[in-house]
Amino acid sequence: MHQQTPASLSQLGIHTLTAEFERTKGALKSYIVRITANRQEAEDIVQETSSRAHRNVASFKGDSSVKTWLFAIAQNIARDHLRSLKRWPEDVGDICKDAAMKDPDFFREAMTIHKTSPQAQFEIREHIAFCFTCVSRSLPLEQQLALMLKEVYEFTAKEIAEIMETNEAMVKYYLHTGRGRMMEVFDKRCALINKEGVCHQCTELNGIFNPKQNAQEEAVKLQMVRDAKKGDKEHLFDLRMKVMQELDPFTSPAAELQLHHLEFDRQVMEMHEAPA
Amino acid sequence: MNLVTPLLIMTTAAAIAQPASTTRTTFHRETSVATTIKADESIIWALLTNASDYPRWNSTITAIQGTIALGEKIVLKSTLDAKRSFKLKVKELQPAKKLVWGDGKGQRTFTLRNNGDGTVTFTMHERIGGLMFPMYAKYIPNFDESFNAFAADLKKEAELIQKKAN
Repeated sequence: MHQQTPASLSQLGIHTLTAEFERTKGALKSYIVRITANRQEAEDIVQETSSRAHRNVASFKGDSSVKTWLFAIAQNIARDHLRSLKRWPEDVGDICKDAAMKDPDFFREAMTIHKTSPQAQFEIREHIAFCFTCVSRSLPLEQQLALMLKEVYEFTAKEIAEIMETNEAMVKYYLHTGRGRMMEVFDKRCALINKEGVCHQCTELNGIFNPKQNAQEEAVKLQMVRDAKKGDKEHLFDLRMKVMQELDPFTSPAAELQLHHLEFDRQVMEMHEAPA
Repeated sequence: MNLVTPLLIMTTAAAIAQPASTTRTTFHRETSVATTIKADESIIWALLTNASDYPRWNSTITAIQGTIALGEKIVLKSTLDAKRSFKLKVKELQPAKKLVWGDGKGQRTFTLRNNGDGTVTFTMHERIGGLMFPMYAKYIPNFDESFNAFAADLKKEAELIQKKAN
């Protein structure tokens, strides 16, 4: 991963920090919304990260990249709140689907966004990214954070250790267990990669938002779906992560629609009695 | 006659440095096992202290409810006696060095020693007993096989994580 590592930001000045922040802001906001599932909170945390970084610029000694330092500040702001929240269940998709079916406002709002926003073109790959964001919240928090940082934002284990204020060995443990668990969950649930999978939500929603499309034809445009027959779970997981990497939840073609779904899921989960 | 089981036990025991052994006195029974693990002690410690993750890698434990933290109570279900739930308290915890849990009848101690050569010596010791021990001793199964499996599982998983991430 290419990152600039100045000897010391305090030597280079506040303008350098501002420029680095602007370069990092998009990825930072994308990461925070994926771990908090809360658009407003993501925007607030990114803003607060900027303030704290500028206030504490002298404390940056150049031991890590500026990007790593900014992610560490943001995660530090988000961490306590995230720890106080209950983790979501693996079948979050089923629970939220049931809730959506009972809530006439959900589809009304979604359809309005779909028709009026330039960023609301439903695509299956967008839902795959949304789905991973939600299901990864069933992992223990540290596993979810490490997995996102490594697999989606491509930080090294050493950088993740700095961001999470832990050591590399623990990061390795979180990555191993988190990745293994997610592969297992998707292998069991995702009908795109397993014919026996119980969840067809992405193709069902494609039918609603794009009634003229053949969902199966759309699905096979994804390499993950084409390679599913090979049965290599590690490979399929890597392809799923590639989908995540390619989409920014704030700027993708379906951003408004997916952020609406994410907000709905978060509200449903706040009401849902999930295990702590 | 089942020839597979003794062979598996021998294979598991052979993979660990000091296979489990048990000593008995009138009022106590103690079982110990030790093995050398080529992994960072933080990885081993993480495996030993993440309660909900045990069933994934440890073939002797089917569930641990609760949090493995000092003073916390946990409920452990083992393959040794599938019908029972053991309510235990975490009595001592020195990060990456020592963990002790137990109840009124016994306690299990896990220790890690960094050998300074990229390996860690893991030991697990359990002492059970007391004045009433002679009355219920015959109902407690032998722990040796389970201890060997625990140590072998821990070694395998910790070394896999270390290797995968390097």
